Amino acid sequence: MKWGVLVGLALALLFYPFIFTGPFYWDIGVTFLLAAISASAWNIVGGYAGQVSVGHSMFFGIGAYVPLLFYQLWRLPPVLGAPAAIAVALLLAAAIGMPTFRLRGHYFSMATIAIAELIRIFVGTWDLVGAAIGLQGPAVGRAWWDLTFRSELPYYYIFLGVLVVVLGTTFAVTRSRFGFYLRAIKADERAARSLGVPVRAMKLKALMLSGFFTSIAGSLYSIKTGFIDPESGNIKTLKVYPAIAASNASETNVALAQGGGLA
Amino acid sequence: MLLLQVIVGGLLLGAIYALFSSGLTLIWGMMNFINFAHGEFVMLGMYVALLVVIWLGGGPAAFGFAAAFALFMLGIAVYLSLIRHVMRGPMLAQILSTFGLALLLRYTAFWIFSANFVSLPQSALSGTLNVAGILMPVPQLVAGLAAIVLTIALHLLLTCTTVGSQLLAVAEDRSAAMLMGIRPDRMQALAWGLAAASAGIAGALMAMSYPWSPSVGETFGLTAFVVVTLGGFGSVPGALYAGLIIGLIQALSAYLLGPIYKDIVVYALFAALLWLRPQGLMGKA
Amino acid sequence: MSKVSASGLFTISVVAALLGALPAPAAEPVKIGILLPLTGNAAAAGQASKAAEEIGAEIVNGKHPELANLPLAASEGLPGLGGAKLDLVFVDHQGNPSLAQQLATRLITQDKVHALLGAYQSSCSFTATAVAERYGIPFLVGDSAALNITGRGFKWVFRSTPIASDYAATYMRFFDDMKKQGRRIAAIAVVNENTDYGTSVADSIEAEAKRSNVAVAIRIPYSASSTDVSAQVLQLKEKQPDVVIFISYTSDSILYMKSMKNLDYLPPMVIGDDTGFSDPSFIPAVSDIAQGAMNRSAWDIGKPGSTTYKINEMYKAKTGRDLDDTSGRNMQGFLALAEAINRAGSTDPEKIRLALSKTDLKPEQLMMGYNGLKFDDTGQNILASTYLIQLKDKQYQLVWPANAAAAKLDWPMAGWKH
Repeated sequence: MKWGVLVGLALALLFYPFIFTGPFYWDIGVTFLLAAISASAWNIVGGYAGQVSVGHSMFFGIGAYVPLLFYQLWRLPPVLGAPAAIAVALLLAAAIGMPTFRLRGHYFSMATIAIAELIRIFVGTWDLVGAAIGLQGPAVGRAWWDLTFRSELPYYYIFLGVLVVVLGTTFAVTRSRFGFYLRAIKADERAARSLGVPVRAMKLKALMLSGFFTSIAGSLYSIKTGFIDPESGNIKTLKVYPAIAASNASETNVALAQGGGLA
Repeated sequence: MLLLQVIVGGLLLGAIYALFSSGLTLIWGMMNFINFAHGEFVMLGMYVALLVVIWLGGGPAAFGFAAAFALFMLGIAVYLSLIRHVMRGPMLAQILSTFGLALLLRYTAFWIFSANFVSLPQSALSGTLNVAGILMPVPQLVAGLAAIVLTIALHLLLTCTTVGSQLLAVAEDRSAAMLMGIRPDRMQALAWGLAAASAGIAGALMAMSYPWSPSVGETFGLTAFVVVTLGGFGSVPGALYAGLIIGLIQALSAYLLGPIYKDIVVYALFAALLWLRPQGLMGKA
Repeated sequence: MSKVSASGLFTISVVAALLGALPAPAAEPVKIGILLPLTGNAAAAGQASKAAEEIGAEIVNGKHPELANLPLAASEGLPGLGGAKLDLVFVDHQGNPSLAQQLATRLITQDKVHALLGAYQSSCSFTATAVAERYGIPFLVGDSAALNITGRGFKWVFRSTPIASDYAATYMRFFDDMKKQGRRIAAIAVVNENTDYGTSVADSIEAEAKRSNVAVAIRIPYSASSTDVSAQVLQLKEKQPDVVIFISYTSDSILYMKSMKNLDYLPPMVIGDDTGFSDPSFIPAVSDIAQGAMNRSAWDIGKPGSTTYKINEMYKAKTGRDLDDTSGRNMQGFLALAEAINRAGSTDPEKIRLALSKTDLKPEQLMMGYNGLKFDDTGQNILASTYLIQLKDKQYQLVWPANAAAAKLDWPMAGWKH
């Protein structure tokens, strides 16, 4: 019976732009998909592993800034910057995770806030990335790979594709030993460790995976909007977390949480 | 000389940080619970002060008491309605509950008071004292001294009174306290009331000198975390020393490096603390 | 379906078709989309500009022969389009650049506006103008300061307001004048809030100062939401500059003045770059301690009977307050757009764009104190300029340039020592 809901949801998302036509509705759809991607990415480390990150905007920010930086400095199509953004995000995840994951839960959350704030202030004063003024992408695309579409429709399907990948990955993780370890860690960390689960390594892996997808969400955002500054990153992701509260580690609930993410 | 001036200013503000952080450390020590909405309590204390001045024309003593009382009630209400239930849930729910509470309080304030910055109209406490070349504005001086006194008072309440011992007993071992006839539920509600009240008074004291808007809660909350981590969670004396130190570091960074860097230094210090000495100066490990 | 209702349906369809085929009424309204922050923390400014633009529409759409020097005031509607009225569509982007982009798209594709105006925050202007450029609809920026809005090689974006570099140039010209009058300007300090507004203006001032050989003793970027600024004031006290330029929002401007008094630091002159210093709450909060502080404004209410005075009366009747500089600049942008559309004689985007590029309004035809309105090939108004005003008692008075001055410039400023 769960499959029925899933298939229905998938069809609805696939055909949404043809049911609600017009750029305004398409843009709402795009925003919804972006929220869904961000929420699912966060959920990997927050929902499944139980490590609540309140500073995920830093991964989103990295994902948003690096592609536009590629354009600003070398006039390259922003999408080429996305892999570089992912690399930076993974480095940051490792840098944060390694020292804080050996502490108890609260400390990780606080570390994420502090470091996210630190990065935000720092970026606001660093001229290379536009300081307070921010960065812009190509307004009028030079070729199709600049991804500056007049219509929202291509963005919608690209985002939908990414969402499918994120959800698919999450699903695969749930079924794998990795997912099993994460659930054990969330339920009782000490017990898991005593049973031989490599706790720190698994938490780190979850954070890196989460950062990976959040960075992609950030890249999608800045490619579509064509603009990023220190303030923009905060607005989006902050609204995503309350939606997660409704979810626990299951795919359908995550999808419902995403609906909440839109609101 | 100017450096001494900077130091005095930093210490006075640091005293206020100590006051509102002492509440946070109390809750954390007692219940191993982080209150992400603590900064919002401070912010609400500032607005209570504003309302008292506008509606009743009260002076600092009046709005100080009003803020303490109003936030005390709010703290207890929050405990009874929200925290008590969430305590039994997973960590995710605990963190998100106060996070959500913070957003609720902040946006309600935005709705009622609008996003414009406000400040108290000129009050009885004005003017500047000149002590050996150091200029100390009266409102800031009074606020700083009051904050230190109140923090010490809280510490004495905890260590020298029966009620205080009961609170500390629950913090140390909940089941044992129950066996001694202490009701943990009541003590925890009281702790929340005290914590919120100290945040509220701190807000009211700050309102005498500085403008604010509903968005300032976020920054104060973060500052409180840093102070509590430095001081050691559960330790009110720790919060006092740490508050003064953080206030000092902030002022010195702003003067020597530049205002933008003051926050960077404080957050970097925080990150370093988490890595190197998470239990802080005086906390239990 | 019964025969009766079928024929009824047929009749209705025929009538509807006939009605649809009737020629449209002459002179369809010209739709202008306006993007502003109507909620959020810039809401007060957004609402004020909205009111100003509505007055602008009233002036164009109605008969106002008493404002004779303004083009389109005397006639009703746009004569060049058969008396067509202007129809304003306001949208609220809440200060969110992504939302501004979304709304600009909606205005163009769903509301089918013929031109766009906006958007206050530079970040929102960046994204909204990019949409206009992509769709080929003219966009007039009335107020955003970031330099690059007109520096991206766009052809559909125009800006009527002076920008950061204009303000910086004005300040340097003023300092030059002061030096000629024997005043000492060896070093200045720049104190700026660190979002895009403060940073662009401060950057421009530093660049112009370098060009004009004025030393910048210290530049202090700070966060507008700082609680305490005493350390900054002490930094200034240490450097002792001859002029301090503040690029601040409202509460921080007030906080600085109060902190300066507390720490007994009064520079020879303070210049506020509009914004905070022009906010209605600034004067009531600090007039007694900030006497002689200077400010800039391209708007001057003027003497009773003048056009600007009458416009202010209209605005005051609607909102209960005097027109402020930012809203005035937006209103001027609106009027310039209307004038261009009228000259184009059509709602075709390319014709409007061409008309805008050929705009050449003389200072007498404007309500703001610009030297004229003429766009260069990046779309920037090269004749944009500003006055300098000074706080005397509870009001700002025009003190510079000398040929427009209504009062004498007091130097050094009295501050709280009066």
